[in-house]
Amino acid sequence: MNDRRTINRRECLGHMGNGCLMLALNAMLQRDAFAASPSGWAPPDGKPHFPPKAKSVIWLFMRGGYSHLESFDPKPKLNELAGKSISETPWAYVQDPERLKKVRVVVVNDANGQQRKELFPLQVGYHKHGQCGAEISDWFPRIGSCADEIAFIRSMWTTDDNHGAQIQFHSGRHMLDARVPTIGAWINYGLGSLSDNLPQFITIGPRYFDVRDGHYLGPAYDAVPLKIDPANPLAYAKPELDVSSQEQAMKFDLVNHLNRLNEASYPGDASMRARIKSYELAYRMQRAVPEVINFNNETATTQRLYGLDNEVTKPFGMQLLAARRFVERGVRFVQIMHGDGAAGAWDAHSQLKVNHEKNAKRVDQPVAGLLKDLKQRGLLDETIVVFATEFGRTPGSQGSNGRDHHPFGFSVWMAGGGIKGGVVHGSTDEIGFHAEEHPHYVTDVHATLMKLLGLDARRLEVPGQKRLDIDYGNPIEQILA
Amino acid sequence: MFRPLLPRLVLVASSLVACSLCAEDVDYQRDIKPILRDRCFACHGVLKQQSDLRVDTGDFLRSGGASGPAIVPGDLKESLLLERVSATDIDERMPPEGDALTADQIALLETWVATGAATPPDEQPQEDPRDHWAFQPPVKVDLPSVVDEPWSHHPIDRLIAAGHREWNLQPVGVVDRRLLLRRVSLDLTGLPPTEEQYASFLNDDSPKAYEHAVDLLLASPHYGERGGRQWMDVWRYTDWYGLGYQLRNSQKHIWHWRDWIVDSLNDDKGYDRMIVEMFAADEVAPTDRETLRATGYLARNYYLFNRTTWLDDTIEHTAKAFLGLTMNCTKCHDHKYDPISQVDYYRFRAIFEPYQVRLDAVPGETDFDKNGLPRVFDLHPEIPTYLHVRGDPKQPDLSEVITPGVPAIFDRGQFEVHPVELPAEAYRPELQPFVLEDQLAEVERVRENLQAELKTANRLRALALQRANTTELLTSLTSDSSLGSAQPETRIWIDDFVTDDAELWEAGPGNWSCTDGNLQQRDIGAERRYMRSRLEHPADFVARLRFRIHGGQKWKSVGLAFDVQGDQEKLVYLSGVSPGSKLQVSYRDESGNVYPSAGRLDRAVALNQTYDLMVAVRDRLMNIVLDGQLVLVYELPVQRMAGFIDLVSFDSLAEFEHVEICRLPEDIELVPTTVAADDNSAKLTLAQADAAVAVCERRLSVCELRPKVLRTAHAADVARAASASSSAEKASELVRAAARAARELELAKAESAVAELRRDLAAARIGNDKKKTTELDKKLSTAMENVKKAAEAIEQPGETYRSLRASLKAPEGPDESEASQLAPYPNTSTGRRTALARWMASPNNPLTARVAVNHIWLRHFGQPLVESVSDFGLRAPRPPQQKLLDWLAVEFMESGWSIKQLHRLIVTSRLYQLDTSRRDADPQTIAADPKNEYYWCRMPIRMESQVIRDSLLTLAGKLDSTLGGPTIDPKQKDKVYRRSLYFTHSRDVQHKFLSMFDDADILRCYRRSESIVPQQALTLANSELALSMAREITARLQEQDGAVSDEEFVVAAFKLLLAKTPTEEERATCGAFLAKLHTLPAVSNAAMPDVRARENLVHALINHNDFVTIR
Repeated sequence: MNDRRTINRRECLGHMGNGCLMLALNAMLQRDAFAASPSGWAPPDGKPHFPPKAKSVIWLFMRGGYSHLESFDPKPKLNELAGKSISETPWAYVQDPERLKKVRVVVVNDANGQQRKELFPLQVGYHKHGQCGAEISDWFPRIGSCADEIAFIRSMWTTDDNHGAQIQFHSGRHMLDARVPTIGAWINYGLGSLSDNLPQFITIGPRYFDVRDGHYLGPAYDAVPLKIDPANPLAYAKPELDVSSQEQAMKFDLVNHLNRLNEASYPGDASMRARIKSYELAYRMQRAVPEVINFNNETATTQRLYGLDNEVTKPFGMQLLAARRFVERGVRFVQIMHGDGAAGAWDAHSQLKVNHEKNAKRVDQPVAGLLKDLKQRGLLDETIVVFATEFGRTPGSQGSNGRDHHPFGFSVWMAGGGIKGGVVHGSTDEIGFHAEEHPHYVTDVHATLMKLLGLDARRLEVPGQKRLDIDYGNPIEQILA
Repeated sequence: MFRPLLPRLVLVASSLVACSLCAEDVDYQRDIKPILRDRCFACHGVLKQQSDLRVDTGDFLRSGGASGPAIVPGDLKESLLLERVSATDIDERMPPEGDALTADQIALLETWVATGAATPPDEQPQEDPRDHWAFQPPVKVDLPSVVDEPWSHHPIDRLIAAGHREWNLQPVGVVDRRLLLRRVSLDLTGLPPTEEQYASFLNDDSPKAYEHAVDLLLASPHYGERGGRQWMDVWRYTDWYGLGYQLRNSQKHIWHWRDWIVDSLNDDKGYDRMIVEMFAADEVAPTDRETLRATGYLARNYYLFNRTTWLDDTIEHTAKAFLGLTMNCTKCHDHKYDPISQVDYYRFRAIFEPYQVRLDAVPGETDFDKNGLPRVFDLHPEIPTYLHVRGDPKQPDLSEVITPGVPAIFDRGQFEVHPVELPAEAYRPELQPFVLEDQLAEVERVRENLQAELKTANRLRALALQRANTTELLTSLTSDSSLGSAQPETRIWIDDFVTDDAELWEAGPGNWSCTDGNLQQRDIGAERRYMRSRLEHPADFVARLRFRIHGGQKWKSVGLAFDVQGDQEKLVYLSGVSPGSKLQVSYRDESGNVYPSAGRLDRAVALNQTYDLMVAVRDRLMNIVLDGQLVLVYELPVQRMAGFIDLVSFDSLAEFEHVEICRLPEDIELVPTTVAADDNSAKLTLAQADAAVAVCERRLSVCELRPKVLRTAHAADVARAASASSSAEKASELVRAAARAARELELAKAESAVAELRRDLAAARIGNDKKKTTELDKKLSTAMENVKKAAEAIEQPGETYRSLRASLKAPEGPDESEASQLAPYPNTSTGRRTALARWMASPNNPLTARVAVNHIWLRHFGQPLVESVSDFGLRAPRPPQQKLLDWLAVEFMESGWSIKQLHRLIVTSRLYQLDTSRRDADPQTIAADPKNEYYWCRMPIRMESQVIRDSLLTLAGKLDSTLGGPTIDPKQKDKVYRRSLYFTHSRDVQHKFLSMFDDADILRCYRRSESIVPQQALTLANSELALSMAREITARLQEQDGAVSDEEFVVAAFKLLLAKTPTEEERATCGAFLAKLHTLPAVSNAAMPDVRARENLVHALINHNDFVTIR
């Protein structure tokens, strides 16, 4: 990697000026040999702290909370015990108040986020997949066909029993605590860019609870929201009034020319130099981004692989194909949120079967397509794919045919650069209630990513902003290749 | 040197780590003291010495506390500190809160003790936090005498110049005057100067020219808008948001608070007074709506679901915004750094414990969705506050009720709580005079609407009557008229299909047969079958047929054609097709069959049911009666002609029972289409129309009683409120009058309910819905019983009536009952918030003025005097400019906390007027103080998002300078050129353009970010706002200066947009740009190529770094 280029790139996305986030200005001043920070603290230089195993992350987040019991964590016991109250089974202990204490309630007396006592049978069958024989529900057969690439983690837990857990999964903090940077922002902050023309942290799809990422790191580390619409992929990507592209090009030229002339009057003005860079990147970005999400030169086979030939799979498939094209071009972190609605499409309080069957159909083909496509292009070795959700769903039934929010145990998976494929790690108890063996708080996923990308999260700490131990998490060593 | 530790004492895990450490690896200052500071000082330091133990120096550790020495150098076994931090019993373990020390930390401690526990000889104990600079009252130092002439006139300059001299710093010179006016104008009003303002300032040679310009800016109402938006950041302004229409956060109409902020600044209300009003207007000015707006500060924290979250936010941000204290850290435990205990937190919470939020009516509006005043009040003085163990609301410590108070370290006796007796209008807002007037006016509006409804109902009734009369006349023409007044002379023919009548009919296609008085057609499939009359029908006629449909594949249509001649016909039929069953008129024209929508009536068609269809035709006008109801009036758009009648069956097992054709006498008038078009409920029967009129009449009666009800209730309310002082007898007479009126109203309502049921019954009878009819009959008898009871109640009216309501309480939780929401408000307030506000706004409070001055300073200089603007606690080091901060804080308080005066003081200093350019700066100065901590130059400031947009509008001459009022939806289609602070701003609604430039974070915004990202470049380059304003600005420049040369235009544009005269090089660059643009088709083909080119230039200057920068 060209270091000098990296630094330039960081400067223009860097947080400039004399505003509240002095850290980035310090960063720049330091690079320009103006001054050393008095505390000895230095901002990240964009280089990994140790040799990385992967370069980029594609983060797939199923909003609303998919059922671990009907996806990646089969519990046949539930079929046996269906209709029984948990308290009359040998697993009555799972509802011991001490064990339920980790929940932190946001909405008091909510209709949702309750204990559901009556056990509800599995709504779908399971089959073994791949050489590893991992059991995956029949709603995800194509993801199943990639089982040997995937490390399934069946022992996640979180503490928010409502959809604020989405914030928690991304940042590690409960909704009632201060908002802190998300994992994407940390990676954006910690690593230099691999692209001259593209933002390095992109978000696609609906967000609701928290549309920011950078928080105290600053808006420069927020994800850039994109739409998979070549005509209008990002805000203000093209002139809203009639301006010819030649006029626009000349104006960008003039602006930077005048700003450079102005440097004579204001030598050492860091923000002016940052602004010049920002215009250079903006100009390239408004051309590069539509090109990335134009799939004309993708073969029909590739398009089919992502399900672009099918109306059901096409919307998510396009997002994932775009994700591959983005990481191919050096974007570090592509965050894709699946599922409309305030709470998220996977929020199956009733009719879980109908809900999950429908949603799984939308994502199964594209996700498997992504893994296969990354693999055949040799990108899977350097890209980590995360498939996650904010919490699982109750072993007990809500109403007659749904499951409620369940923070005590749930499943996610990871695949790609540095991840061991064909691994099933951790487990919940036999009714899928608590994460029992190797329980992992959500930030363990963050720590795993950081480790694979070559970052020491503790070295990224910012003065005046104390991170808690739980914010860092611990890498899940057992799934590392 | 490697010296393994005795392994027996330590945990296995830590011993493994410890073994790899040796004495050189451990440094007390670097490794040991930070652990102790972070985890132990809070209880064993200068503020608290649990068990008489302090651990903030080596000496203290060695001498120990009540249980003996904490450490014995070299002896791990005897070192209590090690024993306690590695204890596995949670009750034994230190520290008691949070996680245990890590194995690494314990290993460090062990190694340190084992290797002799060296500490520096001159170690200082922890500073007493009470001595912390920010906790001492600020004092005005004597202003230093300054020799350097330009720095000796202004107090700020004298204080700053002393620093310059002390550190041997050479300040840069002052900025160019044009740029200075732009700076101070953007700074004080958020708007750039217009060309006229530039001219008048630059042409003013008097020494007071600048002061004069500043005074004008401070007197402008835009000053309040500018400052208002800044304080809205600090005070976390947000419009309401929730889920859909459910309000979960903040309050509707919270903009009243925004207007209060703007007004207060424009009126230069003292900051101390502003604090009192924001926290306690309901106690200090309980009936003054203007002042009550201030409590929007507290109302904004409303959170539907969780009271603790709500109060936590109130506590955290009150402490941060006004006091610079991070009290939020003490929710779960004592503060790690500051002398604030967990008990202090809950004492602070107790101040807010009783407060709730409500919307009070404002004059002129009775609908709370449209307007209302969000305000706070104390509702539950009895609710006790308990400390939450480890911050867990599920674990209140019930052993002690916490009393309201401020952090003990700051309590010097000024926090005194005195409950406040409220005037009646405060806790019974319905007593305010405008309430009655507004509600009466609202009743009048409703009455007018009801009258209009009644008028409509009467008109519909007249139409129904006309339809009924016509139907009756037509029916009477036919043979089975029950009226007995049959007119045989009009009848042409009649057939009851007793026998096959070959003289009358000629069979067309189809399987026709005549049996048992019925004519049947048994072929199905999409093909026309018919039976044709041998006689022509009269021109104007009435045809009546009764028939049944027994089935069909799809269409199931049966009807009657007339004017049948060759290819021509007109057709009326009933079709049982599903979906889409209907009655339809059709005709033929040159294009074929036409099925006009005006000739269509959607309706259910049942199989095996007898339908009675009567078609009356006069010329082209048709009246169609189905089952005794005139259901369709239609005027044929095609010519009539002589012809035959067809009985038609189309894909239908049809059975005809009766057919007759009559001549339509000339004296019978059919219902014309003009009437039918007016009748939007053609299906209404006369009975229904009658019932509908009755409903309107009854509702109107109810409404007409309301004024009396309102007036008597209001009079009774007023009398009751005053009855303590005046005659109770009079009050009770008024109460009885109110009760009588209430009973009358109840009777009218009961009668109205009866009328409504009768209307429903009439409809149910049409539909022949037995179940519904029975149900309604039952309800009707109950309703009639209610009328009887209500009539009896008038005899004994009693004393109950419904008071007027002019307030809507925000629910205390999602499941609060309506009764509880409607409960009366208390007539006293606890006075706790007043006590808090007076303590905060006291000149003895060391923090309040400093924190405010720091906020104001930050916004003038882009850098604060105290870096951590919301934390003046122990972690905030003594600022380099503390003397200046303190001098200004005292001056601020002495000026009556005048914010305007503070602004004036700051912007009239020479310091404020320094250049942002370091071009001519002294290199040694740059090297010595690169961060400008001693203010030897000015820092450029990126405009806040609102200033960018407002600047564009101003320069384009488009700004709509209307002040205040309801928030504006940023997504509305119409262009809005109001100032940016008036747009709705919440979690869910943000102005897209503003959001690109670090708009205020509604959760916390003590300082705006100033990011520089490519999306901002795209926004200014591509947004319609920037492009269209560039065009407007160009037009104005053209207008101002007439047809000037390109070069002159460039100069004018630079001066207006950037407040600078372009250099030779800039001029040349822009000139070349304009010239080159003319080679582009987009420009050369434009209507006015020169203008188009210049628009591009202006737009480029809007994208110039110095346009978005306050230089």
